[in-house]
Amino acid sequence: MASEHEEVLALRDISKSFDGIPALHNVSLALARGQVHGLIGQNGAGKSTLIKILGGIHRSDDGELVLDGNIVSISTPAGARQLGIEIVHQDRLLAPTLTMAEALLLGNERTFGFLPVLNAAAMRRFARAAVQEHFDVDIDPSRLIAELSVAEQQVVQITRALLSKPRVLVLDEPTAALARHEAEQLFAAIRRLRDRGLAILYVSHYLDEIESLCDVVTVLRDGRDAGRFVVSESTPQQLVAAMIGGSTASLVPASTRKAGAPLLRVCALSAAARFEDVSFNVRRGEIVGVTGLLGSGGKAVVRSLFGLEAGVQGHIELDNKPYVPVDPRDAARRGIAFVPEDRRAHGIALDLPVRENISLASLKRLVRHALIDRRRERELVQRRIDGLQIRAPGMEAPARQLSGGNQQKVVLAKWLGTHSNLYLFDEPTVGVDIGAKAEIYRTIDELAAQGAAVLVFSTDLIELQGITDRILILARGKLVRELVSKETNHQEILGWASGAPVHEHEQQTVQA
Amino acid sequence: MSHLPVKQARRDLFAFAGALKLPQWWLQSGALIAFVIVLVVFSTSSPLFFTLGNFANVMQQSAIVGTLAFGLTLVLVGGGVNGIAGGIDLSIAANLGFCAAVYATSLADGLAPAAAVALTLLAGTTVGLFNAFAVVVLRMLPLLATLTTMNIVAGLELVVTRNSTVSATGPTLSALLDNGPFAIPWLSYAFVGVGLVFVWLGHFTRFGLRLHASGSHPAATRAAGLRADGYVAASYVLCGLSAGVAALASTALLSGSAPGSGENLLAVIAAVLLGVVFSRRLVPTMAGTWLSVLFLGLIANGFQLDNVSSYWINGVEGALILFVVSLTALLRRRNLERSSHA
Repeated sequence: MASEHEEVLALRDISKSFDGIPALHNVSLALARGQVHGLIGQNGAGKSTLIKILGGIHRSDDGELVLDGNIVSISTPAGARQLGIEIVHQDRLLAPTLTMAEALLLGNERTFGFLPVLNAAAMRRFARAAVQEHFDVDIDPSRLIAELSVAEQQVVQITRALLSKPRVLVLDEPTAALARHEAEQLFAAIRRLRDRGLAILYVSHYLDEIESLCDVVTVLRDGRDAGRFVVSESTPQQLVAAMIGGSTASLVPASTRKAGAPLLRVCALSAAARFEDVSFNVRRGEIVGVTGLLGSGGKAVVRSLFGLEAGVQGHIELDNKPYVPVDPRDAARRGIAFVPEDRRAHGIALDLPVRENISLASLKRLVRHALIDRRRERELVQRRIDGLQIRAPGMEAPARQLSGGNQQKVVLAKWLGTHSNLYLFDEPTVGVDIGAKAEIYRTIDELAAQGAAVLVFSTDLIELQGITDRILILARGKLVRELVSKETNHQEILGWASGAPVHEHEQQTVQA
Repeated sequence: MSHLPVKQARRDLFAFAGALKLPQWWLQSGALIAFVIVLVVFSTSSPLFFTLGNFANVMQQSAIVGTLAFGLTLVLVGGGVNGIAGGIDLSIAANLGFCAAVYATSLADGLAPAAAVALTLLAGTTVGLFNAFAVVVLRMLPLLATLTTMNIVAGLELVVTRNSTVSATGPTLSALLDNGPFAIPWLSYAFVGVGLVFVWLGHFTRFGLRLHASGSHPAATRAAGLRADGYVAASYVLCGLSAGVAALASTALLSGSAPGSGENLLAVIAAVLLGVVFSRRLVPTMAGTWLSVLFLGLIANGFQLDNVSSYWINGVEGALILFVVSLTALLRRRNLERSSHA
């Protein structure tokens, strides 16, 4: 057993600073054969700097890297590769118009002997076999990368990294773009790689992934080692506490909200092939959660209220007046605000300054004599930036320069300025670090406290139970259960969402 | 076991029926159908059209635009499909004029034929190097960089020829126009040969694949340990070289160098963009470019045989570009949306 977990790569007292600002300070980490080592921390905690040092993109100022007991130095990406360290980056680095086989073997192509002619058939055979060997899935090697699902692309990318037979594999947020069931496939493959003796460093935002996948986890906070935990002997609360350096209580606000009169009444809402006969109420000052697995219709219900789903039938009353959601502009006029999940696609203009992004939805109130009152605009924006603690180089910095969490706060700030009655959130904290999460939760809570009604679609159980008053659970397009957040638990929520009574669900997860 | 082939056949049938609903299928088969329709219509309207001699003639007529289009295909492949920031070489037609001027003038000045050819190819390659420098080292937008080069090179042509027609004769030139086997001019054979070299380069070499990857996703190509910039630079240099090669054909067909080579530019761009529809990946390819060069050549040829004014050919080319470019852009967007929802 001891030889199975022999140490492969160790980082000892690594320090690194940029322009005098320390990014890493005396961080140590040891990766062992046949072990998945988790690395977690908030955005800016130093995870990516650490990965870049391993990958030869940055050099550490101090400390040493030890591979098999020998001190090594990694100065280039090629050098890292030669030492057997492969890094799978967060962005999918595969050319979309290449076939799977071409993308897998790019830079490592097969030819007919010494003839300068590509042997496409050999490349296809090799690619198919390689993917099959590592992941036990069959992907047609002549399909284009653009035609593959995100999970399949991830499989190709990891297989690419494995071609050079590395001893250390670094996975940087591999599930960021994956659906739940796709992530499960990936985990199965990672466990298989681990069992073959690979040392794996797994970087993630998601604590549940760390719990189910990792053996050991290192927590980084502000560039420092904030603790090492054996996963089977620690609780999520301990990990979160190490990440934010305080108690978890601060994550979810203690609320003094009081529910008022019903604002939104939804009666027998249906949309073909998405959801059917859904009825519920949301009162002023109330936060209602909606959840469900992929394709359950929960997301569609929330989106439909902003006029984003076609063919919706049923009866809706907003503030005691009938409301037909067909057009987002009309929805906004009726006092509904929607914060979408995919902020890059729908919520934020990356090249516009933070100021314009925030004031965009409130321009009507800022106009005086047909011109925008810049002073009032800046005041409003500054208030939002302070209120949400948006960390930006300045009001005029393009939104692109902000971290994911701060971008999400900008989207939130945009809608806060509108004084809406009903706020709809679609996965408000996906890809957002824990510190930013806490501020987003507090803001949502404040909105409700000021008398707005809030509807949140989320698949984050901690979030759902922490911030909502009630939870509506959809499964296969039907509203199957309404739970009171304070009186339920994660197991019960998951059980109803997967469409099975609780005890059956437990059996399913054991089998999976 | 015996029901397996039946199952497979049924699945194929379903796949085929599904494909009928896809706009991409219609675009690509539509292009082939249009090709066949053009062949059939002109064959019935003119008895001379569907003859070996006429096809050889079309090959010869297409040699100039075709060779330039092969070079430009490399640039578009390596620079990606973005209409504004992507790869383009606007100087290619002006480069042709410059190279033809160099060739004709050096022959007229009594340079040895082989040396004149070498000088011509060198001239084209140098212009390509200049473009590569501007795009890869200076990081200029290809559209602007090559527009500048176009101006410079067009000026150089006037300097070399003093804005006059330079007639040229020589054994190489007359040999190109002579008939080879099957009474087909050697120039047609030469064009086919050049085409085969480019098809090999684009479809069957490491260079072709890596160039494609550089255009499709530069960051991924760099992450694979390849120098994407190097491949892009090479595409501009080869594109310049193709202008030198095309200049040999042009000098042979025109018996010298004459102003007005710049008029080829639109036809060349049209050929490359039309070629996109023949590719499953919706990217420019050598084979696709070749097909569309022949397609455009056959239309021009058919118009001539039917005594339709050749001025119409510009309109047809323009309409085809509009149709194909807008449709492929639409398809790409749809594909993109589909993959981002997946």
